[in-house]
Amino acid sequence: MKKGNVSLLFILIIFVLALPLLFRSNQYGMILLTTILLYGVLATAWNIIGGMAGQLDLAAGAYLGLGAFTTGTLLLRYNLTPWIGIFLGGAVSVAFAILVGLPLFRFKIKEVWYALSSSALVEVLRITFIMWEKVGGPVERYLPDYGSALYMRFSSYLPFYYIMVFLLLASLLVNFWISRSKLGYYLIALGDDEDASEVLGVNVRSSKLKALVIYAFIVGLTGGVYACIYGFIHPNFFSSTMSTEVAILGIVGGMGITYGPLIGAVLLVSMRELLRANLGGQLESLYLVIYSVVLILIVLFRPRGITTLLQEAWAKIFSRWTRKNHAE
Amino acid sequence: MQNEVILRVEKITKKFGNLIAVNNVSLMVNRREIVGLIGPNGAGKTTLFNVISGLISPEEGKVIFKGKDITGIVPHIICKMGMSRTFQVSRAFASMTVEDAIRVGAYNRHSNRDIPQVVNEVVDFCDLEGLRKRKCSDLGLAALRRVELARALATEPDLLLLDEAGAGLNPTELSNLMNILEAINRKKEITLFVVEHVMQMVMGLCQRIFVLDAGELIATGKPEEISQNPRVIEAYLGKRAVR
Repeated sequence: MKKGNVSLLFILIIFVLALPLLFRSNQYGMILLTTILLYGVLATAWNIIGGMAGQLDLAAGAYLGLGAFTTGTLLLRYNLTPWIGIFLGGAVSVAFAILVGLPLFRFKIKEVWYALSSSALVEVLRITFIMWEKVGGPVERYLPDYGSALYMRFSSYLPFYYIMVFLLLASLLVNFWISRSKLGYYLIALGDDEDASEVLGVNVRSSKLKALVIYAFIVGLTGGVYACIYGFIHPNFFSSTMSTEVAILGIVGGMGITYGPLIGAVLLVSMRELLRANLGGQLESLYLVIYSVVLILIVLFRPRGITTLLQEAWAKIFSRWTRKNHAE
Repeated sequence: MQNEVILRVEKITKKFGNLIAVNNVSLMVNRREIVGLIGPNGAGKTTLFNVISGLISPEEGKVIFKGKDITGIVPHIICKMGMSRTFQVSRAFASMTVEDAIRVGAYNRHSNRDIPQVVNEVVDFCDLEGLRKRKCSDLGLAALRRVELARALATEPDLLLLDEAGAGLNPTELSNLMNILEAINRKKEITLFVVEHVMQMVMGLCQRIFVLDAGELIATGKPEEISQNPRVIEAYLGKRAVR
């Protein structure tokens, strides 16, 4: 089993790295691939707080927006390159996560109440940044230095694609590392039962906060890149829709499975975008109807995620393959 | 050394609104003892356990563990100090395998390097070898009770609180559990404090018994004294049974 997994992983990495060759001059194809990976990064990061710790976080847009605004504002005001700015964006997201996480976890806000509070954060930030004219305001602020690699303002989507590949690998590694560490075991335990974990020595509050901080950092970092991809910043980056979608991808992909949310993102976002590209012209929101129906069907028949379906199929193929080899 | 007090509960009172769940209860447990806490339904046994393990804080009174006042201290720190517990309604980690659940407990005193060894030992001790790769959500009640016991044991406590570990088990399962508990007490020198409904288990296992009724401690003594005590018989069977 293990040998098969390693070779599969190797093939996948080469495939992902070579994929842009198919879209060499097709900028639409490239932004599509980059978007899919972006959602993959967000959903993989979400897996830490949502999948492992079982906290239904709906605030991805808050951390994404903070990362974008920090990176964008530092570039606009102080001419600081986003290559540094995105890390400061991650740091601002982390600071915000601590500010929010401390009271939420202190007062044991969990389940639906945690979902609602985190969802409210996104909207609060959006309105704050619309009102805060010095940094945000209702009009887009365009980033300067188009075409300069030094300022992460590439004139093609190809470099952004590879940045996303890198971020994705990084967040997968972080996930993998956590899942084998004390923190990972503690998160899954407290996600199942907080009181039972407490009496076994699990510091529920600090474990949750660690998970939230790691998640916020990755999403904040991604937010900085997001601003550079689109070339502007706007308070609508604090998007509740996007936040909810990240959680949906994580849940539908397979909670608590390291690569589950990524698979959810790849399958669902590409399906959604293809539906939109092909149906959007005729009937404006038909693609959303179909997309929702597919989501409902998956949740109905595969409540533990589509990844479990793939795992079973893969196990079947692999066992058949080894049996054949043994026979010969 | 033999009579060193490990746990001292001093005048604990816990109210829920107007209901006094535990009323001015004091008791103490010696190191390496097996003591029982019995009483009719609603007597406040589980509430008292929740206070001792730090899950809720009392209105009045103190809990002294190993000579330190632990009233109001959070459970995970109390666990570090050497106390763990199991729950009345099984609260297994549904999405984890048996060995992963035990691993959670083992992290209390160990790091990644020696965890496998600690887990193996506990799995062995609690007779879970055949089940170690199974998901907790797939197990039956008797196995779940053993898993809960095992993960608490993995925290390497000096005092273990067991809340109705025997409830719902058949006679064979019960005697298996009692064997494990006795071994825990003898070999690992862990003090056991058990809340129990199953009389067979309390009478067979405990050296001393406390009886709680309507939040008050009504009797303390050896098993044979307790079963003769008129107040205890009254609490369980009603006034007419005493005559």
